[in-house]
Amino acid sequence: MNTAITTERHGAHASLAAAGFFDLAHAAAAHQAVEDAASRLRGCEQVDIDLTQLVRIDGTGAVLLARLLDRLDDDGLQARLAEGRNPEAVRLIALYRSRNTKAPVRSAGAEGVLSRIGAAIATLPGTARGTLDFTGRCAAAVPKTISSPHSVNWGSLPMLIQSIGADAWLVTSAANLLVGLIIGFIGISQLGRFGAISYVPELVVVAHFRELGALVTAIIVAGRSGAGLASELATMKVSEEIDALRSIGFDPVRWLVVPRCLALVIVLPILTEIGDLFALGGALAATTAMTDMPISMYLTGTAEAITGNNLLAGLIKSPFLALAIGLVACGQGLATHGGAAAVGARTTTAVVMSIFAVIVINTLFTLLFVVIGM
Amino acid sequence: MAGDRPHIIVEDLRVAWGPRVVLDRVSFQVERGSTFAILGGSGCGKSTLLRFLIGLEQPQGGRIDIDGVGEPHRYEGIPPFGVLFQSGALFSSMTVEENLALPLTTWTSLRGPIVHDLVHAKLDLVGLGPFARHLPGEISGGMKKRAGIGRALMLEPDLLFFDEPSAGLDPITAVELDHLILSLSHDLGITVVIVTHELPSIFLVADSCIVLDKEAKGIVATGPPGRLREESTIPFVHHFFARSSPDASATGGR
Repeated sequence: MNTAITTERHGAHASLAAAGFFDLAHAAAAHQAVEDAASRLRGCEQVDIDLTQLVRIDGTGAVLLARLLDRLDDDGLQARLAEGRNPEAVRLIALYRSRNTKAPVRSAGAEGVLSRIGAAIATLPGTARGTLDFTGRCAAAVPKTISSPHSVNWGSLPMLIQSIGADAWLVTSAANLLVGLIIGFIGISQLGRFGAISYVPELVVVAHFRELGALVTAIIVAGRSGAGLASELATMKVSEEIDALRSIGFDPVRWLVVPRCLALVIVLPILTEIGDLFALGGALAATTAMTDMPISMYLTGTAEAITGNNLLAGLIKSPFLALAIGLVACGQGLATHGGAAAVGARTTTAVVMSIFAVIVINTLFTLLFVVIGM
Repeated sequence: MAGDRPHIIVEDLRVAWGPRVVLDRVSFQVERGSTFAILGGSGCGKSTLLRFLIGLEQPQGGRIDIDGVGEPHRYEGIPPFGVLFQSGALFSSMTVEENLALPLTTWTSLRGPIVHDLVHAKLDLVGLGPFARHLPGEISGGMKKRAGIGRALMLEPDLLFFDEPSAGLDPITAVELDHLILSLSHDLGITVVIVTHELPSIFLVADSCIVLDKEAKGIVATGPPGRLREESTIPFVHHFFARSSPDASATGGR
């Protein structure tokens, strides 16, 4: 039997008869039948609805018929269900009518592009305030850490150094090796045009020791440990572990953030230096493979280029890059609200923001070194 | 679906995690339209039994037959039963109404205002109409469970499973939830299977029950809870309903 509502009209009086299946499996057909019936009732004053021909009705069908009756009521029609002919259906429809709070339908597209831009901009002051607040709390944590060292989880430091540093050296070194190889190739192809192959070792040292070594290592650590730290703290936040820390009198910034930032500050310069050595190896391999330059000559050229300034330029900024990664990752982790999805979102934000912060800080240091002639 | 046939038949069910037998030779039946409680202390295998009833695990022995489903772990298609998990298990990234709409938009071609109407009808049924656009993180534990019930009702099941519905709720909210379960059972004619160890819930909600015992690795008593409390001579059952430790009593011992 088809799911349908037949209509018979006698002037201002109409008789509706619902027939067939008014259930979840036939919801689309039932919905259509209800819409068709509603459109045929214009100008009516009295409507009787007969449910005896219903083969099956469940909650879904009952809601559809209940909302039809609500609409008829709202339009001022007198609608009546034929009582006693299908008591089960009548009872079910009455149940859904009795508990209707008439929630407004959300209008599609109500939130336009402009309102979304406005909403995004409206969150900026709050975000800025949150960032400043977190930075301030971290700065305040440093003297408190010195005055009460037991408020920091020093026991976690070796494990953090292991996971952030020792477990990462292979990937950071491999990346640096490849970057060294690339600089070597570019040097050979560009400087070779002027017969200046002998400047390749110096180019590699200046480019990598001053800039790329610290940058490449920091970006890899930001992606790897930034995500790890942010998701760890975010999960602790949503599972109320951070609240538990507070409740037993621990400052989460000192207990969690300080050791993580410290581990990063210790580890990143070391990883950078190891990476620099690998980059030299990569450039050496490229140069000896592509040109006639003897290894001894390459090594001499490299040794001459490694000056205190070149070495320091990379080493000085490395701890600052580490601090940026730690603060961004931990800050995002601790700012998490909600559930699993919020953890994912905060982790993504932490990685993107920490990589961006690393690039910005690196640029600022380069400008500073240019200005002071270092 | 036959009217007289039991809604759920469990025969000789055996559950073991590796060499450790959790439940053995468990047999019981749940009548259509009744409210049935699975009782027992912590670690007796109540929630494990529920996982098998809803088909999340395959039994190592015996048979579970849900009328209209057959063996639940083999079932594919629109689930003819709904489940309320202990925490509500709402998807945290979706609003309450999106949580309820999900089964509907997954299993049917319905979209737009009709989904809104159906979702809000269920939200009104569980008393959560005003909280439709809240995220699960923004509502209380009791509301999460109500929303979980609403989501379980979306596909119009004739069987609902509840895992510890009162867990973590204050007594008043727990009683409200029990009344909601009762009214759903009466108003919608749904068969209800409830796993709990909360005595007030048991006496308020359950028509009949089974009592599981960790030591016996199975059912130690079957029947209406009131009758078991008054008449059972089994020490564990007696102590369970008297809410005292078997060891603490002079009549203890199994």
